[in-house]
Amino acid sequence: MSSQPQIVIEGVSHVYRPTRGKEVTALENVSLQVGQREFLALLGPSGCGKSTLLYLLGGFLPIEKGSISVDGKPVAGPGPDRGIVFQHFALFPWKTVRANIAYGLERQGMAREQREARVQSLVDLVGLSGFEDSYPSQLSGGMKQRTALARTLAFEPAILLMDEPFGALDAQTRHLMQTELLSIWQRTPKTVIFVTHDVQEAVYLADRVAVMSARPGRIKTIVDTKFDKNSRDVFKAPHFVDKVDEIWNLVRDEAIKAQGGRGM
Amino acid sequence: MQLLLRYLPLLLLAMFWEIAARLELVSALALPSLTAVAEAWIELVKDGDLITNGAASLYRAGMGLGLSIVIGAALGIFMAWWRPLNIVLSPLVEIFYPMPKSALIPVTVIWLGFGDGSKILLIFLGCMLPVTIGAFNGARGSDRALVWSARSMGAGRLRMLWDVVVPSAMPEMLNGIRTALALSFILLVSSELIVSQKGFGYLIGFLGASGAYEGMYAVVLTVAFLGFAADRVYQMLMNRVLAWRE
Amino acid sequence: MAGVAHAEPIDAARFFSAAGLVVARSSVVVLLLVGWELFARSGAVTMFVLPPLSAVLERIWIDASGDLWLNVGLTLYRAVVGFLIAAVAGIMLGMAISRSAVARWFFDPIISVGFPMPKIAFLPIVILWLGVYDVSKISMVVFDAIFPVVTATIIGIQGVEKELIWSARNMGASKREVMWQVVLPAALPQILTGLQVALPIALIVAIVAEMAMGGYGLGGAMMTSSRFADSRGVFAALVEIAIVGYVLVKLMAVLRRRLLVWHQEASEPATV
Repeated sequence: MSSQPQIVIEGVSHVYRPTRGKEVTALENVSLQVGQREFLALLGPSGCGKSTLLYLLGGFLPIEKGSISVDGKPVAGPGPDRGIVFQHFALFPWKTVRANIAYGLERQGMAREQREARVQSLVDLVGLSGFEDSYPSQLSGGMKQRTALARTLAFEPAILLMDEPFGALDAQTRHLMQTELLSIWQRTPKTVIFVTHDVQEAVYLADRVAVMSARPGRIKTIVDTKFDKNSRDVFKAPHFVDKVDEIWNLVRDEAIKAQGGRGM
Repeated sequence: MQLLLRYLPLLLLAMFWEIAARLELVSALALPSLTAVAEAWIELVKDGDLITNGAASLYRAGMGLGLSIVIGAALGIFMAWWRPLNIVLSPLVEIFYPMPKSALIPVTVIWLGFGDGSKILLIFLGCMLPVTIGAFNGARGSDRALVWSARSMGAGRLRMLWDVVVPSAMPEMLNGIRTALALSFILLVSSELIVSQKGFGYLIGFLGASGAYEGMYAVVLTVAFLGFAADRVYQMLMNRVLAWRE
Repeated sequence: MAGVAHAEPIDAARFFSAAGLVVARSSVVVLLLVGWELFARSGAVTMFVLPPLSAVLERIWIDASGDLWLNVGLTLYRAVVGFLIAAVAGIMLGMAISRSAVARWFFDPIISVGFPMPKIAFLPIVILWLGVYDVSKISMVVFDAIFPVVTATIIGIQGVEKELIWSARNMGASKREVMWQVVLPAALPQILTGLQVALPIALIVAIVAEMAMGGYGLGGAMMTSSRFADSRGVFAALVEIAIVGYVLVKLMAVLRRRLLVWHQEASEPATV
């Protein structure tokens, strides 16, 4: 990790104002720094504003209070330096796998031959060979998410924003995708912000886990989870189990609070 | 206040109409002023023309639509419920559904003449299929789990038809009826415009032919408003009937 | 149509082979036609009330060497041109309403009041303004067919997931590119449904306008026959119109299937 943080979030608050009903404070005074090529998980119960923070970082929502800068420049709108992967894939259903992956490259004006080569290398990277000409509706959930990941990796963002990317997958597929993400990340390191509510997933994937509290969303603690993840039995290793237990205890209070709803 | 702001564009259009007519931007023959139209409307109500012709039209539309709903709904539900009926009827529905219903106007005249009967038959034939298709799709989509659990609770076949199939068919059937409602106005006015001796459409044509354009505009706007109001009222009823659906 | 056309009873397939079902379905149609012929000849009704099918077909055969193609062509021209204008203008208007608050404020009440109105009642006014020629017929078709297109476009655009738009923005698409490359294709199923509603309306209105204004065209020909108490002519026109309607609706369904190969449609929405 270089000494200069790549992402600096300072004093960010965000309030949702629905056309009907009460305002909701999704985030309150959140500050966070993320280093180059660091893998950070944002962990918390639903409604803690972790996705909101990701959308602000992506430039999809306007920053109303506080500031977010990437590489020293304030965030103003979406840009290909920050690629996003959504829980429900957000693939273009009328485009084939190949055309989906190529879309970002087309927008950047990459020449056709170069583009085709790049798309093919990504198809191979995420293991979709043979499905290049399928439409998303013909793919399984796991394959859809591989396509979405390839589509985002294609335009080589320095930062990867992942919004519960494996939340819609079944348990086996999820585990497979986690392992693959980790191996892709180790081969081509990027800064990753990974939103999840799965403690084990967070500990397994991330260097650091930022535990968030609900309503209003704040960062409660940041736990260091950097250790060797490559061993086969990592899930049974004592230090892994301890970390999961430690973080689970932190999250449980918040989950109960969020369920009760009344507190706060 | 909010209602005013929402419908302000319509008010603006009305004002624009009045001003355009007053300044004679278009010939007064082609576009009488809104106030003149309003006066003509009051006249038409006073001497009873609008009322008697309106009553004739509403009677035709009501009868035709009523028949199409009752028969169309029964047909659709039975088609979903009893397979042989489906095999016999679905090719016929497929052939007749895309037929432009206005083509039936002269045919119903051949069958039943110029009076109420031909209009009622026309509206009945024209409006039945949307109801049938709505009821059929709704009934066919009735939840298998519901049917099975009703069975397991000892509901007989007829009982189940009434308790499970009909309610599940309701939402789509009500949508079909909404389409039928709109169609009934279209067919009513078309047929009265083309061949009739009373009714809204006849009155529009008669006033137009005799150069009483203010009156013609008045009747046209009345019919347009009735069509709109009928749809709104129907939607309110539909929401009430479907309250269980949230 | 779809609703019924594609609702081939799945359970029946177990009893009939697929081919058997086709035979069953077409024999129903044949039976209907034979029944028409026999009933008309039975003497239960006069030939005026129901001319036999053979007489009607003979009449169509004679028409075919006369004005039939001109009539079909003119009716199709009026209905299809009106439909296409309504389609393009309706989609544009729907896009404008979805994108601009001012357009929404102005057009929303007009659309919501105008949609359920029986616009055919305005026919005499349109004749008064534009005469009895093609301009007024086509205008009437546009006026009637545009509402379902606008409404469907607005609903379709509203239903586009924001993640889809965000993804495209993320990959460097401009706002204009997002509209044309993402929002419109994503709204296409809804828009096509709107077009499938508008097409039969266009035909209905074209025929009513022809009936009211006379002249060439299937509707006009039908009215002429009706005036001369020529019931064979009326039924011949009815069959011709039914065939035109059937072919147009089927073509539209084919177009939908071609355009939406990517879309997983269990069954097409019932068009109205």
